[in-house]
Parts: sequence; C-alpha cells; structure tokens
Amino acid sequence: MDGKLRELLDISENDFDVVVRITREEDIAIARQMAKQLAQELGFSLADVTKVATAVSELARNIYRYAQTGKIMIRKRLEESGGPTIQVVAADRGPGIESVDRVLARGYTTHERSLGIGLPGVRRLMDFCEIASKVGTGTVVRVEKRRRKF
Amino acid sequence: MDNNQVEMLVEELEVGNKHEEKLWRKLLLGVASGATGNDLRETIREPLFGLLHELGETALGAKLKLVIERTPTFPTAELLPLILELCGELRHDSEQAVRGLERMLSELATPIVRIWAEVLLVPLIGGLDSDRAQGMAERLLERVSTTRAKVVVVDVTGVPTIDTAAGGFLIETFSAVKLLGAEVILTGLKPEIAHTLVKLGIDFRMVAIARDLEDALRQAIAMIEEERSRQRKTAWVRGSNFPSEGGEHDGI
Amino acid sequence: MAFKDRVVPTIRIGDALLVPIQIDLDDKTVERLQTQLLEEIQEHRVRAVILDVRMVEVIDSYISYTLSETAAMAHLMGCRTVICGIQPPVALTLAQMGIELQGFLVARDLEHAMGLVY
Repeated sequence: MDGKLRELLDISENDFDVVVRITREEDIAIARQMAKQLAQELGFSLADVTKVATAVSELARNIYRYAQTGKIMIRKRLEESGGPTIQVVAADRGPGIESVDRVLARGYTTHERSLGIGLPGVRRLMDFCEIASKVGTGTVVRVEKRRRKF
Repeated sequence: MDNNQVEMLVEELEVGNKHEEKLWRKLLLGVASGATGNDLRETIREPLFGLLHELGETALGAKLKLVIERTPTFPTAELLPLILELCGELRHDSEQAVRGLERMLSELATPIVRIWAEVLLVPLIGGLDSDRAQGMAERLLERVSTTRAKVVVVDVTGVPTIDTAAGGFLIETFSAVKLLGAEVILTGLKPEIAHTLVKLGIDFRMVAIARDLEDALRQAIAMIEEERSRQRKTAWVRGSNFPSEGGEHDGI
Repeated sequence: MAFKDRVVPTIRIGDALLVPIQIDLDDKTVERLQTQLLEEIQEHRVRAVILDVRMVEVIDSYISYTLSETAAMAHLMGCRTVICGIQPPVALTLAQMGIELQGFLVARDLEHAMGLVY
C-alpha cells in the first residue's frame, strides 16, 4: 500500500494530456470542464461525458475541501484493450484517509456540508476506481472510464 | 522476369475471371518492373488487396506459392510484411462491421414505442448486460425528454433472468425517468426478476406495478387523466379568462 | 434584495417564484443562490419556488446537497419547491450516484410544475 501510494504520488505529469492544479474553489469548475472536453474528444456519449465531468468535480472538491491543494491529471488512452478510455488521477499531499473502506461506504463523511455520497458515487460512475492513501502522507485516487460499445 | 513469362504465369494460374486476370497481370508486371522497397510495395499493394478480397487467404496463398516456385527472383521478403498489413486492415474492417451490427442489434432489441398519447412502451427482450442496459437507458431518457412523455411502461416479459448488476441499472433507469418528471409502470415480472429487484431494495414508491400490459395501459391513462384534471383545477383557481385555452372543460 | 447580489433573475407568477437557472452552477454560485432564494421567499411571501435547470449541465453531490438544503429551508418557511427541466444526462448521473433530490417535487416542464404548485 505504501509503495503504491509513493509510486502514484510521484507519477509524472508529462504522461498526461491535462494537469489542473487545485488551489482555489474555481479550479473545481476548471477541472470539470477539462474532463468534459477530453471525454467529448474520445467520442463518449452525452450521458457518459456528464458522468466523467461529475466524477472529476467530486474528486477536485475532495482535494480542495480536505487537502486545500493538489492536482487533477487527465489523459486519453486509445490503445487500451477495452476500447478508448479516459484516465483521471487526483493526487494530494493532504492529511490522508484513515480507512479507505469507510469512505467508500455510502453515508460516511467528516464534513458538515456533505451526505458522504461523493466517493462512492465516483466509484459507481466510473468503470475502475482505486484509492491509495496514508495518514500524514497524502491521497491518490485513480479512476477510469472506457467508451461504451453502444 | 519479362512480359512473356508474366503471360505464361497468368495462363498457368488458371484464373477464374477477367477481373482476377487483370489483377494478377498488374501484380506480376509490378514485380517484373524491377522496382524495390517502397516503390514496389506501392505498386503491388492494390492488386494484392484486390486478390485477397477475390480469392480469400487460402486460395491466394496456394497461387502465390506457385508464382514463387516459378519465379526464382520473386521478392518474397517484400511481400510478406505487406500481406500481414493487408490482413490487419481486413480484420479491422470486419471488426468495424461487427460493432455496427452489435449496435443495430441492441437498438432493434429494445424498441421504444408510443402506445398512447404521452405514454411510451419499452418491451425489454433477451438478456441485459451493463452496456446494453446503459445504452437503452440513454435512448429511453432522450425519448422521454423530446416527446414529453408522462408515463413509461417497462415490460420485462421477454427477459428470462437478470443479474444484480443489470437489476441495478434497471432501478437506476427508473429513478432517472422519475427525475425527468415522468411516471414508471413495471409489468411482466417473473418470480426470478421480482426476487432480484427485491433483493436490490427496489423502492415501490418509485414504480407502479401492473399485472399485464392491459392493466399497465389502464393505469397509465388514469395517471394522465388525473394530471389533466389537476391542471383544469389550476386554471380554475387562477381564474383564467380564457376557459377554452386548456382544452376540454367538461368536468367543471 | 439588491440587484447586484442576485445570482439569477427571478420571475413572479401569481404566488409562485420562477427561477430559470441559465448559468452553470459551481459551489459559490449555488451557495449564493440559496441565500438569494431564501431572501426572496421571505420578501415576496411566495407559496412555491420553481427551479428550472434546463441549462445546467452538471449537478454533483455538493450542488444537490445545497439544493436539497434550500428546499428543506423553504419548506420551513411554508414554501414548496419544484425542480423541472433536468436534462437526461444529468438525470442518469444523479440516478447512478444514488442521489435523490430530497424535498423537491419533480416536473417535466413549467406547465407541469405550475400544476404541481396549486
């Protein structure tokens, strides 16, 4: 787990099509917009474009809310075996998550203005979701969605 | 290899028709021209592709073997990568075609029918996997939105069983339809499907259940009538000066 | 309420307040929208608020949380809230995330919404 987190935190920005630094509240909307654009370029359906944009919105807000600063990195993958895929990595060096299982369960939150449906929602919207986190080191969430066949 | 040899070879190949003969001649003359590398590949690419289409891999292979045996100078090394490349292209084309057919099949398998003014019927047939369920959900929601349907009847008589993933998608589709402001009536439930939906915790405030299609249609019409009478009441409360505006006013 | 503090223009129809949201909602905007609506409910004593979200392309968990919170507050002030014009992709996303727009009546369009209000 520790090694995985280190590896993901040090992942090179150069491998991504878009990197959005999250430092202000407005950056959440910027990240969402960029994700939407890349999903459109990959030929995702309108509903799937909205799902990707919404998921990125949740990830960016979590960074802003719990770690204050961090980054959202997005890339298009055309050569994946399952078809064209969009990959998003949300990384921060914030406080970290005590129990990953708990944040993935609906209804868990440490924030007063939340119902705890952000991360579980992201997992349902995307095809793949992986979280690596350590208290005091940071959190990396990696998600993917492939273009549906029909 | 000179032109005479080319003609003799074409003869020996026992070609089936004029078109094939033309392609072989073009291919062999291209080889005979003495071109190499890229130039050669460019010249023989088209006739080779044509022959691959015409004869198929096996027959073309057999005939090429004969050509190579007869012609010691034949540039086999140049030919091999080109043939692999062409086979790849053919495979890509057929994959595209299969994808197109899959999409067509999925659309044909879930028609969306307007069975009454403002009522849509979705007869689900066959197995539901997650891709198909999501594609169906997207098309249904677009239709509900563009036709301003008030009621959607989902008939699952033609669905043998559903797994929990597909059942989950079905329930999500129902709540998405509700978010557009339309009602959902579910009909044609078999014990297996009822079991899956109950296990998934379907909310019965969200969908109305009908015994059969007839019952579903009756409920749908009742829902539409109820809304209409409410609207008439609204017009009355607002004291409309144009009583004819809202359509029938017989009830007032 | 001062004109410049308004996030969206509102229209009064009878004792209902129509709120067409023509901008993309972000966190700040939706918070300011909440403040604006509660002040207008108090000021005009309307019986119902109708949110038209036809132009809204993304509703995520925070936006829906704040909207539902607004609906609950409006309810405490004796006012119904109706949401209408949710776009199909937004509806599918909300449904998949398991978000319910608690406290709202859902309508297809304005005509339907007016019918639900009275």
